[in-house]
Amino acid sequence: MKKLFILLLMALPLTLLAQQRVIKGKVLDGDFDNSPLIGATVKVEFKEKERPLLGTATDMNGEYSIEVPSDAKGLSVTFVGYETEFVRITPEESVYNVVLRSNSNKISEVVVTGYQNIERRRLTSSVATVNIAEGNIGSITNIDQALAGQVAGLSSVVSNGAPGAPVKIRIRGTASLCGTQDPLWVLDGMPLEGTDVPAMEELKDIDNIYQTSIAGINPADIETVTVLKDAAATAIYGARAANGVIVITTKKGKVGKVQINLSSKLTVNPNLDLGRLNMLSSEEKVGLELDLLASGYSYRDKKGTVYQILSQLGEVDAFKAGGWDMLSPDAQNALNSLKAINTDWNDILMRDAVSQDYNLSISGGTEKVNYYTSVGYNSEQGNVRGVGNNRFNITLKTDYRINKYLKLGASVYANQRKQNTYLTDYNSFTNPIYYSRIANPYQTVYNDDNSYSYDKNVEGRADTDLDFNIFEERANTSNTRTDHSLMSIFDAAFNYNDIFKLTSQLGLQFDGYKLDRYAGEESYAMRYEKYDKRYNGTTYLPDGGMHKVNSSNTTQWTWKTMAEYRQTFKDAHEVEFMLGSELRRISSGTNYSLAYGFDQRTLTTQPVIFPSQSAADAMSFFTETFVQNAFASFFATASYTLFNRYTIGGSVRFDGSDVFGVAKKYRFLPLYSVSALWRVSEEKWMKNAHAIDNLGVRLSYGLQGNIDKNTSPYLIGKIDRTQILPGNIEDVIESETAPNPNLRWENTSNVNAGIDLAVLNRAISLTVDYYYRKSTDLIGLRMLPLETGFSSTTINWASMENQGVEFMLSTRNIYTPDFLWTTSLNVGYNNNKVLEESVAENSTYPSRKGYPVGAIFAYKTAGLDEAGYPLYRAKDGRAVSAQEFFKLDKHGASGMSAAEQRDLYTYMGTSDPVVSGGFLNSFEYKNISLNVNFAFNLGATVRVQPTYNPLFFDRGLNTNKDILDRWTPTNTDGKFPAIMSSDGVHNSEIQFYENYASFNMLDIWVKKCNYARCQSIRLAYKFQGDWLKKVGVRSASLSVEGRNLFVIAGDYTNYLDPETMGNPYATPLPKSAIFNLNINF
Amino acid sequence: MNIKYLYIALFALCLCGCDDFLDIQPTGKIIAETGAEYRALLTDVYSTIPEDRGLTTLRTDEMAADASSMKSLDYDSYFDIWNWTDYNRSPSSLYFGWRRYYHSCYIANYLIEHKGAITKATKDEIDQMVGESYMIRAYMHFLLANLYAPAYTKCIPAETRGIPLQLEADVNAVLKCGSLEKVYSQVLEDIDSAAVYLNVDRWEEGYTYRFNTVTAHALRARVALYMGDWGKAFGEAEKVIAEYPELEDLRTSTKLPTNYKSVESIMALEQVITPVLMGVGHAEPALISSYRSGDKRQKMYFTPKTLTRWVYRERNSSEERCTFRAAEFYLIAAEAANELDNSEAALKYIKALMEKRYTDAKYAEYSAALDALDKDALRDEIAAERQRELAYQGHRWFDLRRTAQPEIRKTFKDGDTEEPYVLSQGDERYTLHFPAEAVAANPEIENWN
Repeated sequence: MKKLFILLLMALPLTLLAQQRVIKGKVLDGDFDNSPLIGATVKVEFKEKERPLLGTATDMNGEYSIEVPSDAKGLSVTFVGYETEFVRITPEESVYNVVLRSNSNKISEVVVTGYQNIERRRLTSSVATVNIAEGNIGSITNIDQALAGQVAGLSSVVSNGAPGAPVKIRIRGTASLCGTQDPLWVLDGMPLEGTDVPAMEELKDIDNIYQTSIAGINPADIETVTVLKDAAATAIYGARAANGVIVITTKKGKVGKVQINLSSKLTVNPNLDLGRLNMLSSEEKVGLELDLLASGYSYRDKKGTVYQILSQLGEVDAFKAGGWDMLSPDAQNALNSLKAINTDWNDILMRDAVSQDYNLSISGGTEKVNYYTSVGYNSEQGNVRGVGNNRFNITLKTDYRINKYLKLGASVYANQRKQNTYLTDYNSFTNPIYYSRIANPYQTVYNDDNSYSYDKNVEGRADTDLDFNIFEERANTSNTRTDHSLMSIFDAAFNYNDIFKLTSQLGLQFDGYKLDRYAGEESYAMRYEKYDKRYNGTTYLPDGGMHKVNSSNTTQWTWKTMAEYRQTFKDAHEVEFMLGSELRRISSGTNYSLAYGFDQRTLTTQPVIFPSQSAADAMSFFTETFVQNAFASFFATASYTLFNRYTIGGSVRFDGSDVFGVAKKYRFLPLYSVSALWRVSEEKWMKNAHAIDNLGVRLSYGLQGNIDKNTSPYLIGKIDRTQILPGNIEDVIESETAPNPNLRWENTSNVNAGIDLAVLNRAISLTVDYYYRKSTDLIGLRMLPLETGFSSTTINWASMENQGVEFMLSTRNIYTPDFLWTTSLNVGYNNNKVLEESVAENSTYPSRKGYPVGAIFAYKTAGLDEAGYPLYRAKDGRAVSAQEFFKLDKHGASGMSAAEQRDLYTYMGTSDPVVSGGFLNSFEYKNISLNVNFAFNLGATVRVQPTYNPLFFDRGLNTNKDILDRWTPTNTDGKFPAIMSSDGVHNSEIQFYENYASFNMLDIWVKKCNYARCQSIRLAYKFQGDWLKKVGVRSASLSVEGRNLFVIAGDYTNYLDPETMGNPYATPLPKSAIFNLNINF
Repeated sequence: MNIKYLYIALFALCLCGCDDFLDIQPTGKIIAETGAEYRALLTDVYSTIPEDRGLTTLRTDEMAADASSMKSLDYDSYFDIWNWTDYNRSPSSLYFGWRRYYHSCYIANYLIEHKGAITKATKDEIDQMVGESYMIRAYMHFLLANLYAPAYTKCIPAETRGIPLQLEADVNAVLKCGSLEKVYSQVLEDIDSAAVYLNVDRWEEGYTYRFNTVTAHALRARVALYMGDWGKAFGEAEKVIAEYPELEDLRTSTKLPTNYKSVESIMALEQVITPVLMGVGHAEPALISSYRSGDKRQKMYFTPKTLTRWVYRERNSSEERCTFRAAEFYLIAAEAANELDNSEAALKYIKALMEKRYTDAKYAEYSAALDALDKDALRDEIAAERQRELAYQGHRWFDLRRTAQPEIRKTFKDGDTEEPYVLSQGDERYTLHFPAEAVAANPEIENWN
């Protein structure tokens, strides 16, 4: 390096004499078989920095030609998405061919915020960009899956591993308690509707098949995803952006020859291994039932096949009196043959799943027009038989350059999705995952005569005779959701000159879905329905099945217009203004219909003959809703850069919406931000620090706000009709929402400070961000004194802070012409604390003040007493009985005040991960590349369901092996509490556990949830050689990927996956092997 | 730069159009403004009026139950009410209402407070709604006081905790209890206010669930009776009878007197004994046998399920609605007159009722027997007639409370086991505790002083 410099210095006098000369060459795409790169920028570089810009762009053949002054040092060649190359020029040579390599690990030069494209050198806010290249993130079927472990400060939790299930994404923790906590998704500038993921509690309700509109976007169409994190970046999006913004930028046609890309993927998900659940075998289960029978435990004592066998033979009392030996040989044989049945529910309810994914895209362009067209088909099978999801996509994008001033663009994104799953409307055990955990191992599916063998034990209540068999259920019920989505965007850009620009964008989104639930006559669901609709003991429903249809339609249009002004004065002052408006209208409607007597072959239904008016009133065959909202916003941004070093920026936005029953002056909500950037590396005194490529310091402050639109100072009612006396139907206005004139705005102020550093020719780049978000007057639901006439209202009830550090380190460890190894580590640490929370005086659960919002509290236990009852750790460290700990009276009620009861709890941890991040490695050797990605979540706790309830253990169901390690008189070392039944001593404790659900609150049911998931290991090979050209192929690659191969985690015994520990109904994330072939023509 | 001006013009245009753009009337949502809308608010109150008077039947000596009559679901919900378990109730047990009463009061207060702002309605229409609102408020507070506070006649009302009174529509108010006397005087004051505004004497068929002018006298008569204010009770009852003298003649009619179309129906709002409540248990045998031979009511009201077990006879439940009917005021007049030592009037009213309830021959026999009775004996006879007439219609519990608060014994038979339950004389459980959810939402509410 130094030598070269000296050489150059020596050559200087010579070159000074030389005239300007022309340098020519070609810029080639190193990633695309050295095809010409059109439109690459070639810039002349000088030794001194303050020289006028001199540059050109490559033409249709990738060629350039430029006049270069004699004192030029070299040329820099840049192209968006490619690594910039610097070429040193020598006086001897005048032709320089440059090969550019795209680098997906590299940050691009321009950041797309959805409103503006900002050059990185002037970016004052905290923004992360993820390149959605397969080598980077592996194979994914939904874009929301791609972000796990990719961006510091973004945590993503999978609710359910079933195909098509949404992923819960949080950016920088939770800021709101009442409103949505999901980030705003933006597709090519258009904010999307229908992206909210329901609360975890609702997701546990397995009845719902849920899809967000994100699920309809084909990941193969996506170029990059930009995550906007701080207020300076999100303020422009207004109130909806309080939880961060995720901007999706789709692929575009590039100027050049037509490119055809074909990719096909085959995914194999091997069957789930339920072995981790440690369920009881038939032998153990029969043994347990016998033990319980002998012990006299009375809860559901007539359940379990053991009891049924003995009771049929009339030997229950004999067994209770004398045990096994007193049983007749018949009974012993019957029980022994029961022990010998071992139905492998895992095997018969689950399967190895195979999924397919095909994508074809055609793109290209000229200077006048460029286009991108793609078709995609994806079909996913779930590991649970009968569960699947498929998607069909079409994307059309075209940009036209009409003349010197005007550019137009039109894009259409259309998709159809279909999701199949089981019907679980009537009881949770109809969920196969759950059923596989509670069905007895000795339960058979078919009787000897091939009829269905009904499970008599699973229903819980003793007095129903609604037969249930999961195979019958699967054969005769269905639950299907079909989604249709059409999004289209029309862009117009009017470039008056380099200074002034007008842009306008109209976005349309039509989303609709239909949920079909069908239960045939021969199903538990239908029998349950008939049982439920009875009059004088017989059902009044007609013969046949049932068909329920829910359908929903959402339409939104967004029209935004922006004027931009940008000018540079005296090469030192760069000024930029933007002024814009946005109008948006959303309407959505739902329909629900219900029919009985449904015949699937003829699609006919039968009328219901009601026995009484009240029965008819209770059933609704058709309901419809319609909601419409409108939004109007005005916004402006400004930025000023001095000497390419100091940038200050600001933005302000007024968000208006159609709040009903609120004074007009409250319609507009102002939000603003200010920010600054100091690029230290551009300072003169840094000039000699050659090792440092970039060093910048960012600072921003912003204010976000929100108001509850459902609370009004007026009494708002809902119109309905009712009949009080016969024959007279009247209008009524139901008014169940308490009016509240005292409600204030919810405010969140954000501070962000960050450093960007790149050294050693960008071999190491590091971004560190610190943020502090304080939310005050958070809106939440508050119980009202019932004497007001209302049970609750929304009030400003809490304040909370989030502070955290995000750390993103990318390194290029080894870089030789043949071998490249890059690593990226991102870590986000978030500390959430509730500063103020108004807790109802009567609450027995502690306030979260001083703790995270996801705080989990539990009672500290201290082992078991001499009868196997839990002991508690008192404040003074003694192990005390429940009776003493809770000061129980003889009815099991605590004699303590609510405040004292709150004090009994101990803080166990938070349900949100404290540290989350990813560790990504990429190796490239010649044509082979290997990617290894890990994502981790640390510091979370989760409250799991007790493995068995000592009072209400239903012996009709299977459970895991924990129960074998319970305390019994013969197993006094048992780790888990005894099965409790009245013994005269512990009566108050029994009543306490019975009435106050306190057993779930023991610390033994709170688990740490730390894990690192190996998301992807991917090995790819790129074919090369002349033979490719002969068959008309430009390039081709083949890859094999293993996704979710293993999890490194703390203790998660008895659970399939640490991520879904809290939800026994969830399908765990499946392991998968993916084979991918990618061909470019 | 022409473009720039054009843009600014567009922008300005946009701002102006904005207010219209944002004016969206949400489907199905409304802020009441017109008379019809305020009426719809009131109709909602009427249609959701608590049916607790029917529920009190379970606590009286009118309903027996055993494992065969009280099925599992009913058992979960009603057993604790039936056997007076007020502590350590099963979590599935139902509570008597609370919030619903105050919600009705809230709407009533809201209407009263906004009476000047109601549009598209005549003064009479608005006045009538205001009058009804005062009646709703009075009736709600009166029912609450009789469920959750000691009987007025069994305590020193000025020194006894009453119930919270909601006199303003304010969701941020934290109410406190006042004295029982305060509650009753407020109830009477509200009835007086209502009387000023009410102007519909009789509603057309289908609307008779609403308060009319006579109901002010009717409610005042009932309140006075519960206060033991015999003079007022007698006077007001006579005013009601003057307007509604007719009684359903059970000798010929097949219509229940509680039917909304009955000639004696004054106000047909509450269903009182709903089909669900009827099914919880069966009639106490002593009640059935209290109907003497020739009493048409026994078989009108009840029907034998087995030889020994009678249940309340289920009718078309939507037609059986009754808050006030003439017979009650004949009984109030008779009872009050007797206490006022006006045996002539007492006999006149009780006989007028009996005439329509018994066969002619039996009426002659029983009515003649009354003439010989002294004041105490006549009191008992009127009370017995009252029990028979108003059986299962939500009066018994309150009558027991305001009179002797006698001991009640019940047994619950399940297979071979028989569990006895006793409500002793003057038992504190003659007054309900405030519901747990009310105390949870306002912990100090049950305390006073």
